[in-house]
Amino acid sequence: MSIDTEVKMSLASPAAPGETPHRPRRRRRGRIVVSAVAYLITFVILFPLLWIVLLSFQTNDNILNRPFSLSDLTLANYQQALETLNLLVMYKNTLILAVVSVTIGLVISYMAAFALTRMIFRSGRRRTQTTLRFYFLAGLAIPVYILLFPVYRLDITFGLFGTYFALILPYIAVTIPFNILLLTGFLRDFPEEIEQAAVMDGVGLWRMAWKVVFPLMRPVVATLAILNVIYVWNEFPFAVTLINDPNMTTVSLGVSQFQGVYSVNYGAMMASATLVLLPQLAIYAAFQKQVIAGMTAGAVR
Amino acid sequence: MNWLTTRRHFALMVAPALIIYSLYMICPILYSLYYSFTNFDGVSAGGFAGLDNYRQMAQDDAFWTSMRNTGIILGIALFLLIPLGFLLAILLSGRVKGSGALRALVFAPAIIAPILVGLIWIFILDPKIGLVNAFLLAIGVPAHPQWIGGPTLSSYSIGFVYLWQQIGFVLTIFYAGLRMLPRDVMEASSLDGASRWQQLRHIQIPMLRETFGIVTALVVTGVFKVFELVYALTGGGPVHLSEVMVSYMYHITFTTQQYGYGMALAVVVFVVGALASAATFLDNRRKGEVR
Amino acid sequence: MATSPQSAPPTSRRPSGISRRLLLTATASALFVTATACGSAVNTADGSSSDGLITLSMHNPDSKTQDPATWQMVQEFNKQHPDMKIKLEGQPVDQHEQRMTIAAQSGTLPEIFWVYDSLAKTMVKSGDLLDLTPILAEDNLKAKFVPSMLAGFRSGNVQYGVPYQALVTGFYYNKAILDEHKIAVPETFDDLLAAVKKLKAAGVVPITQGANNSSFSVWAFLTMLDRFGYEAKYQDILSGRASYDSADFLRLYKHVEELAEAGAFPSNMNTQTYAQAVASYTSGKAAFLDAGVWEAAKIQKSGVGKDTGFWAGPTFSDGVGNQKLVMNVPSAPFVVSAKVKDDKKKYAAVKAFIQFYYSDAGQKILVDNAQPPVTTYKPSVDATKNPVFAAVLAEASKPGWTSPKAQPDLVVSAATASAMYDSFYGVMGGSLSPEEAVKNVQKTIKQVPAVTP
Repeated sequence: MSIDTEVKMSLASPAAPGETPHRPRRRRRGRIVVSAVAYLITFVILFPLLWIVLLSFQTNDNILNRPFSLSDLTLANYQQALETLNLLVMYKNTLILAVVSVTIGLVISYMAAFALTRMIFRSGRRRTQTTLRFYFLAGLAIPVYILLFPVYRLDITFGLFGTYFALILPYIAVTIPFNILLLTGFLRDFPEEIEQAAVMDGVGLWRMAWKVVFPLMRPVVATLAILNVIYVWNEFPFAVTLINDPNMTTVSLGVSQFQGVYSVNYGAMMASATLVLLPQLAIYAAFQKQVIAGMTAGAVR
Repeated sequence: MNWLTTRRHFALMVAPALIIYSLYMICPILYSLYYSFTNFDGVSAGGFAGLDNYRQMAQDDAFWTSMRNTGIILGIALFLLIPLGFLLAILLSGRVKGSGALRALVFAPAIIAPILVGLIWIFILDPKIGLVNAFLLAIGVPAHPQWIGGPTLSSYSIGFVYLWQQIGFVLTIFYAGLRMLPRDVMEASSLDGASRWQQLRHIQIPMLRETFGIVTALVVTGVFKVFELVYALTGGGPVHLSEVMVSYMYHITFTTQQYGYGMALAVVVFVVGALASAATFLDNRRKGEVR
Repeated sequence: MATSPQSAPPTSRRPSGISRRLLLTATASALFVTATACGSAVNTADGSSSDGLITLSMHNPDSKTQDPATWQMVQEFNKQHPDMKIKLEGQPVDQHEQRMTIAAQSGTLPEIFWVYDSLAKTMVKSGDLLDLTPILAEDNLKAKFVPSMLAGFRSGNVQYGVPYQALVTGFYYNKAILDEHKIAVPETFDDLLAAVKKLKAAGVVPITQGANNSSFSVWAFLTMLDRFGYEAKYQDILSGRASYDSADFLRLYKHVEELAEAGAFPSNMNTQTYAQAVASYTSGKAAFLDAGVWEAAKIQKSGVGKDTGFWAGPTFSDGVGNQKLVMNVPSAPFVVSAKVKDDKKKYAAVKAFIQFYYSDAGQKILVDNAQPPVTTYKPSVDATKNPVFAAVLAEASKPGWTSPKAQPDLVVSAATASAMYDSFYGVMGGSLSPEEAVKNVQKTIKQVPAVTP
């Protein structure tokens, strides 16, 4: 189906000849060097994060004036962060937003992606689909700061302002382009045989999309779900513009709570940053296999 | 054979995504386009200004600086982020013990809110209280460059932080691509005596062409959306010298209340970003195969 | 089944006779969306059932710690008025301005809010703000103000704003550091320049400033602009009869350059925020801090509290006009949404709050939190307990010294104000020459139509 695949096939075809001897010692030394480099790079990449966690145990004054003194470490920042922030409410709100917008977003993105790749018109022409796909992908280039005013107005017009949907709809819209990109990439290479068999069995469109094809998309859907949740978790510009009720605050707003006009509490900022970060890292650590599996499943094509 | 369909069914499947996307993403662009021809101040209706805002842009030094800085970050992304991400993917795809855990850890920066990333790096790059210069001081290097806040280095530093933030993401995509390569090809070639370099050059890179294409497209669109890093690290300063396109647009729209001009900038940001990514997508399509 | 590929955009076609299951699902999800949306739509801004609940929206996300005076004011008001309630909310200043702008566009402004005067003026133009003249006329509340405190917030006959707090700005200085290096508190610019050189040689940061995300933090320099004749000239500059690019202002910027070249400012001025600059002063690392009265309480509590004095800033031998100027002006205003007048209960609550805020009891809350009163209320400040705050008040009412009517950046458009901040920070950081600095401001003034009342 693609030139690439042909290349793959032709390269893959020659049968492997017998083992040729290698010099195992040099290999082992090489492996140690490679491992050392890998660990070092990982450490360097992680270092800034460790630094923040360390700073979160320092007083505001120390952070700004003696960031390298580790003399008086304190939990005061955490205490302050927990006092100021209603973390439970924030996590609850973020969770609601994430679950609803990611679920709806994925369902409708999948439906669109399915239509754009798997459905054909009897005429066999695909122009509408190609055009629509590019129309969706154009969204990848839109910086959200353009959207703030118009989205606010839309929310007011639809009477959504002050509800979760004021945020859910723009979140869905913003994630659609990337979802479509990965989903169509995956669906394009989806083997036709399965569909053919299903058609023979007299399966309808809806069943085909949801019962036959969708289950096979689990890896890529999982990847998107995780990436979308990360997006919603971190989203700041919409949240700060569209939430005006303290009971609807999300975790991404937590850190900015310590930023007054004339005073910034860096210690509490670092502490709340850590508090926001840790669950995120835990979620990612738990699901990272799926992310990679999903991308591997053809999504990156 | 795919699924034969009617327009009606097709429309039903596409409609929900299409409606939400059009309303919340495309309408705002048209709205911005309209206001870019006015001198609206954000509150009270402004008059029609024709092309004035675009003319003003052409003469606005800060705008050109923001273009240049975006270009610098784009350069770093294309010539450092992508190759390094690829090499790191190769490094962590192989025989290193615990490479799964390492891959997860390297991804960590990509899941942090960008505004936090900026905040974190202030404490590393700040010329006075930052870690880097403290380190230089400790090892006796006399020069203490103004990584951020000075007149020259800020954009490079921001590009570097962007690299740090994105490398885990890029790595993951490449890693996924590498895993898709048929294993026997590599085995066969190494048995044929191909060096690691030859394998890389003649097998892995060519076979991952589409993956490179996708990564490039994502990175390019990402660069044109960089905002929070600049906002937190330098606030665009000193005197707009480290501004990127989106941060300058933000400054003009919200800080100086020149809504019309800000929207003209927004339109240009979108058009430039869309053209750049369209170029990579089309290039990708030309090289690969079209379905 | 046969369809043409060039179908109209799918959205424009109303599907008829679709499969029943699809229809059901679509309807169900539409209902779900509508139900959930309406179900949680309790707190829309324009809820018409009034209960005397009004929102006060500020530029601090956590007023309790970041603006205790306002916080305490609201607490006290709510206690005294059980039939009314003020909800205090806020975001960081950038986001706050952004939100108020957007809210004005869609008619969803909170009842009372803080906003920069330039934005307030654009809101007046489009009729978004309530005329407070009747409220101020009642019980002759107006008499409590010095006329200049209200004059800046008037547009034609409309009194659209009332002063939130007073801006008394200038330099805090650390007496201990000055004494250690045998420097007397400067009076003239030459004194200051000499002090800077001495301090720099001794390895002390002479004047701490922070430009990152706080380019507005050039208060002492804005006062200097007034010492070069800004007040008399700015209306001509805005209307095009005079230019910001003038020999007078250029002299000021050259002086700023002299300071910069003498090493007056910290090397991380452009990356540190204003808050960091304050922290470096309160930790005793800098001799001077460019700030205002709002820092008095914080400085008092810090390690340098006992050593801190306050200075209105240098006089210039080559200045223009009166040099004995100390900035003591209203800061940004409180404004009220025009919609409040349609709702009796809300209007009553707003009126009661304004009356309370400017009553002597209200002003005492300001003073208790180390904010100068904005009315004619005469505070009694215990100079032994609050020496820093007392020092600021003393400097503000120094005999023979007067205040400009307004701070220079508060009488121009937001774009021009931003250009003015940039011009100072540009010269201080060495990225702009004095000539470029004044030219840039002039260029912005010409580009942006002035917001004149």
